[in-house]
Amino acid sequence: MTTAHAAGPRKRAYRAPAPLGGRPDRSLQRTRTGGRRNRTALAFLAPALIIMAVFVAWPMVSALQLSFTDASGFGQAEWVGLDNYARIFTDADIRDAVVNTVVYALLFTPTAVVVALALALLLTNDRLPLRGLFRTSLFLPFIISLAVAALAWSYLIDPQVGLLHYWLRGIGIDLGNVLQDPTLAMPAVALVAVWKNFGFYMVIFMAGLQEIPGSLYEAAKMDGAGAWSRFRHITLPMLSNTMAFVLIFAMIAALQAFDQIYVMTGGGPYGNTQTVVMEIYESGFRKLELGFASALSYVLLLATLVLSVVQFVFFGRREKES
Amino acid sequence: MKRTPALLVAPVAALALTLTACSGSGSSDHDGPVELSFWHGYTEADGDVLQQIVEDFNAAHEGEITISTQVNPWDVIDDTFLPALSADNGPEIVAMPAERLPVYADRGAFVDLDDFYADDEATPDLNAGALDMVTVDGTAYGVPTGFVPLTMFYNQSLFDAAGVAVPTTWDEWVAAAQALTVDEDGDGTPEQYGLALADHATVGNGVWPSLFYGNGGAIVEDGQAVIDSPENAETLEFWHDAITAGKISPTGVDGVSGDGLFSSGRVAMYIGGPWMATVSEENGIDYGIAPIPAGPEEQAASAIGVSMALTRQADQAQQQAAQEFFSYFLSREESVAWALGSGWPPLRTDVAADEVDENPVVAALTEQAELGRPLLPGVVNSTDVLTAVDDLTQRAMAGEPVDDLLAQAQTAIQAALDD
Repeated sequence: MTTAHAAGPRKRAYRAPAPLGGRPDRSLQRTRTGGRRNRTALAFLAPALIIMAVFVAWPMVSALQLSFTDASGFGQAEWVGLDNYARIFTDADIRDAVVNTVVYALLFTPTAVVVALALALLLTNDRLPLRGLFRTSLFLPFIISLAVAALAWSYLIDPQVGLLHYWLRGIGIDLGNVLQDPTLAMPAVALVAVWKNFGFYMVIFMAGLQEIPGSLYEAAKMDGAGAWSRFRHITLPMLSNTMAFVLIFAMIAALQAFDQIYVMTGGGPYGNTQTVVMEIYESGFRKLELGFASALSYVLLLATLVLSVVQFVFFGRREKES
Repeated sequence: MKRTPALLVAPVAALALTLTACSGSGSSDHDGPVELSFWHGYTEADGDVLQQIVEDFNAAHEGEITISTQVNPWDVIDDTFLPALSADNGPEIVAMPAERLPVYADRGAFVDLDDFYADDEATPDLNAGALDMVTVDGTAYGVPTGFVPLTMFYNQSLFDAAGVAVPTTWDEWVAAAQALTVDEDGDGTPEQYGLALADHATVGNGVWPSLFYGNGGAIVEDGQAVIDSPENAETLEFWHDAITAGKISPTGVDGVSGDGLFSSGRVAMYIGGPWMATVSEENGIDYGIAPIPAGPEEQAASAIGVSMALTRQADQAQQQAAQEFFSYFLSREESVAWALGSGWPPLRTDVAADEVDENPVVAALTEQAELGRPLLPGVVNSTDVLTAVDDLTQRAMAGEPVDDLLAQAQTAIQAALDD
């Protein structure tokens, strides 16, 4: 535990994580027992840190190294400098995959956030009966694996044996072969992810909603504000921290879209649902171009980071203004 | 300080767990039998027979060689094999879909087996197409474990009910499919289709190659893309017309859904692999097997191949032991046992159909064995080639102009070959 030793007493005491977009709590820094707390905290954190180091940090460093080589995953790898990165920006397949990923993110993120917020508002309404039951059942999809959900949905919408398809046909709607339809396939895989993830975002929104003091609404009501204007001028601004968190999480999930696409469409029809992560998988595991796949992963990581920081700054500024 | 050791136990234990998880490969540094691990994806009756062959081999080499098998389904074998290989923790012998072998061989994952094949006593004459699929740049990197042409499975009861004969040419095929397509309620969506012609991710990726061959076309020849040919344009137009005009097949079908359609009795004819026999029996379908009807130019079928290879992880002793197993596997007796048990035709050219006639499916497939053509033999980037073919056929069946599609496919395939 050399880190514990080197950190020295008192100087870097345990600090509670700063609230998203807020300021760190300085009071903890002045604790007298800082040095001992420091060591104890580190000892408790060590198992998690070691696991993170072995399974997250080390692979990340190796992947960075790989991204400058023509590694195939085994045998000799040669240093190729920035060739892999150069290829990413010239390869037409990658360009298509980026476009597909953006389309997916634009379908998934707003839908998931709006659905989650709407249901959170509904479920925090005291007049709704059986709220506990609804909360639990709406959260359920989140705890099953996306791959399993994707399998279930592919059966439901299968044009030959699908139950959903059968019912819809009963009321005169024929969706056809959704997953093989070049325009419907992407919305379909995005909707499955919405169905699976909104429960989590909903719970986060509910926690945020419960923190808004009821007195604000009462005061607004007295001033004659309607439901919409209470939502617009109280709920939304007060939720901006929560909104930032949910949006960033939803966007990261969107950029990493893979599981249900792998299961449901395999990137088809004709590459219309081929996302960046599908490309990474295919280059790495099908074409044995692990170096290229690593480079592509790093570009995706950087893009995600940049977009997250942009959102973070945007919401941080809005909060200051309000 | 009483607490400190207790606090350190957890991290140390976690680290120890991680490290032990990484070790445990079968090596043969110590005395005792040479240990080999063998990964394959035979999960059905074929898996049991293979296990029996391995056990018999182990018994015959008691104290010298021990092979242990591990099943990894074909469609995900890459996902486990590649990480295992990169961690030096993979098998010494691995079986995989034959079109996946060249990319691994090209990247240096496998031991070259030219010496093994040079020894005539150890290796009998094998199906030439099967050998093509283990050969990359003139060097053999594997031993075939299966090679079977795609065949037509048909639903005997539906044929009897419609009074239709088994077709032998494309025109008869389309006519039979029309007679077997039933749209009782007249809503334009047939309840029963004459044929399920998959347009992407087809069985062994071989449905369209088979049709292209039938009209004298091909995909890759001598390392060059040859897909953009008038023959292939004709083939795509012929089948597009047959499907849209006669509605003889549902569209957007892939290999998996095609299997399901045939086994649920909703289509009368289907192009499939030998497992369709078992699948049909399990679902109570009275089926027959016939060669894929002959095209205007040729009667040929793309073959599904499985090959096993020896990985670079094997040391000298393990390489020798593995080659001994390969010879055993290819011996006459085991070949026949393997064919009968797996339902795939024998790989040895000297085993005739009447030697395996106790399994009628194997006998039927053995008779068709010479129609089988290897799929993309020696093509390293088969992934991109097959994606381009899927793109082409799916778009063509959706009605996009065939000439443009063929030109695009030609470019994409040539690029994949030049990689």
